Amino acid sequence: MSAAAESPGARRGAVYDRSYRPYEGPRGRRAAATAALYRASIRRALGLRRSWRQKVAPFVLLAVVSVPAIVNVGIGYITRERRLPIEIITYRDYVGVSSALLLFVALVAPDVMCPDRRQRVLPLMFSRPLVGTDYVVAKVGSITTILFAFSFLPQVVLFVGNMLVSDSALDYFTGHLDVLWHVPASVALLAVYYAVVGCAVASLTDRRIVAGASVIGLFLVTSIASAVIVDNGPDRGPSPGSPGALVNVLRLPLYLRDLVFLGHVDPASPLGGVDRGGMYAVGLYVAVLGLGLGVLWRRYRWVER
Amino acid sequence: MLLRLTALTKRYPAVTALDGLTLEVPRGLIGLVGANGAGKSTMFRLLLGLTQPTEGHIQVCGVDVAADPIEVRSRLGYMPEHDCLPLDQMAADVVSTFGELSGLPRRAARQRASDILDLVGLDEARFRPIGGFSTGMRQRTKLAQALVGDPELVLLDEPTAGLDPLGREEMLALVARLGTFGISVIMATHLLDDVQQVCDHVVMIDAGRLVVAGETASLLDRTGAVTVDVGRHHDELVAGLARAGVAAAVVNGAVEATVDGDQQLDLVRDVVADLGLPLFRLSTRLTSLDEVFLRSAGGPE
Repeated sequence: MSAAAESPGARRGAVYDRSYRPYEGPRGRRAAATAALYRASIRRALGLRRSWRQKVAPFVLLAVVSVPAIVNVGIGYITRERRLPIEIITYRDYVGVSSALLLFVALVAPDVMCPDRRQRVLPLMFSRPLVGTDYVVAKVGSITTILFAFSFLPQVVLFVGNMLVSDSALDYFTGHLDVLWHVPASVALLAVYYAVVGCAVASLTDRRIVAGASVIGLFLVTSIASAVIVDNGPDRGPSPGSPGALVNVLRLPLYLRDLVFLGHVDPASPLGGVDRGGMYAVGLYVAVLGLGLGVLWRRYRWVER
Repeated sequence: MLLRLTALTKRYPAVTALDGLTLEVPRGLIGLVGANGAGKSTMFRLLLGLTQPTEGHIQVCGVDVAADPIEVRSRLGYMPEHDCLPLDQMAADVVSTFGELSGLPRRAARQRASDILDLVGLDEARFRPIGGFSTGMRQRTKLAQALVGDPELVLLDEPTAGLDPLGREEMLALVARLGTFGISVIMATHLLDDVQQVCDHVVMIDAGRLVVAGETASLLDRTGAVTVDVGRHHDELVAGLARAGVAAAVVNGAVEATVDGDQQLDLVRDVVADLGLPLFRLSTRLTSLDEVFLRSAGGPE
C-alpha cells in the first residue's frame, strides 16, 4: 500500500494498491474441503445462486410432495367438530409418496455429478486436499440431505398439523411416539438409496440428459419387469406376493419402510407372504447400495483426467 | 528448496513419460520447458500426488509427496492448460468455492476471492457467468482459482495458451508479479520466449529426460557475436568489416560480426563510422533459450 505524500495544504488523498495479501488464518484439510464441496453441491441442487429456472424444479417438487400433508391437515381441521377419524394418508404411506422424489433424483443427481466431468472441473477439485472418497461422500451426502429434507418436512407438517387439529395435542403426541423414529429411519433409508443409485448412474456418463434418462429408465424397466414376473408367476393361492417383486429397484426401500413401521413386509405388497421376504429385501437393499458405492468408488478412484 | 526430484520415472503401458529425472530447483519463478508430449503435464500430476511415480521420489516445499499428498496439495495452486471452469456459475462463486476447497473458512474464501479477482483484473466481471467470458478472462479466472488458497507454489500449465499478444503480455506480467508476492511458480510451456521473459530458472525436458536446468541468466551466455543494425546498408558493412579483418554475415536483416575482445568491438564501431552508415543498433547477441534447447537436446545424453 502506498499513500500520497502529505504536505501542508495538500489535498488529503491516497492511492491504494490492494496488491496481494497472504492468508494467515486457520486452514482446514480433507474434512473442510469435503464440507465445502457438500455445501456447494447442495446450493447447486437447489438452484441457489443460479438463475430462477434452476430453482423451479426442486421447489415445485417440494410443494407437490407436501400437498397430501396439507390436504390431510386441512380436512382434519374442517371436520374437527364432527369427530370423524378421517385419515387420508398414513405416515407409512407418506414415505411411499416420497418415492416421487425419484424424479428429483433423475434431475439433480446428473446436474450435480455430470458437469464436473464434462467441463473437466475434476482436476481442479482434486488438486485440493481432497480424495475420490471425499468427493463421493460430498456428492452423495448432499443429495441424500435434500431428499431426506424433502421427504421429512411434509411428514413434520402432517404430524404437527394432526397434533394441532386433534382433540388433545398431548394425547396425539404420546399416542404416536413411535412415528418419531419410524419416519426419520424409513425416510433416511429411502434417501440414501435413491441418492446412491442416482449418483452411481450419473457417474457413468458426462451427459446430464443421458444420466437422467438412465435413472428413470432403470427404475421404470425394473418396475415393469417385476410386475410381469409377479403377475405371470405360479398361482400362490391367498398369498399375493412373489420373490420377483424384488426385481423392482424403485420399490425396494419401501419394503424396508414396512419393516421399520410394521416389523414385517406388508402382506398386501407384491412381496407379501414370501418366506423370508423381508430378509431378502434387506440383503438386496444392501447389495444395491454396495454396488452403487462400488461404481462411484471406481469412477473416482483414479482422478487424473 | 522448492522441488527435489530423485530418479523420477513414470511409465505408462505404451510410453515412458518421465525417465530417471533427478533435479533440485530453488524457490522462484521456474520455467518448465519442453515440446508437446515431453512430460510436463505428467510432472504436474506427479507433483500434485494425483498419480504415483513408477520409481523415484518427489519432495515439494520440503514435503514428501508420496508420504503426504494432501499436505502438498494444501500448499499448491494449479492452473491446468485445458478448459476446466463451470461455465454456468459466476466467477466470484467459483473462485470462492475453490478457496473453501483449499481449506479456507467460508468468509475468508469469499473475501479472498474478491481480492484475487481484483488482482487479476476481473473485479468488474466477477458476478458474471464464466460462460460469457473471453479466453483471456477465463485464463485469468483459472489463475485466480489457483491463487485463492494462498499457495506457496503455483503450477501453471501453458498459461498463455490461446491468448492474443496483448493478453499474453498481461498474463506474463501477472505471473511475474507473483514472484514479488513470495509465491513460487512453475510455468510449463513450450514457448521459450515466455520463459525467457518471466522466469529466473529454467528446467528443460525432452521425451521425459532432463535436457538442462539452471538459472536463466547463466544459460543465456554471451555468444561472442555482436548484432549491428545499419538499415539497408548491411552489404556495405559486411564488406567493410571483411577489409578490416572482422568476420561478419547478414542474419535476419542485421549484420552479425564475430568479435574477440573490446578492441575488435571498437573496430566494428569505427568501420561503421568510416563508412558513414546510420547506426540503429549495436548489441551483444545472447544465446536464446531456443538455441540452448536445440543444442542441449540434440547433444549426447
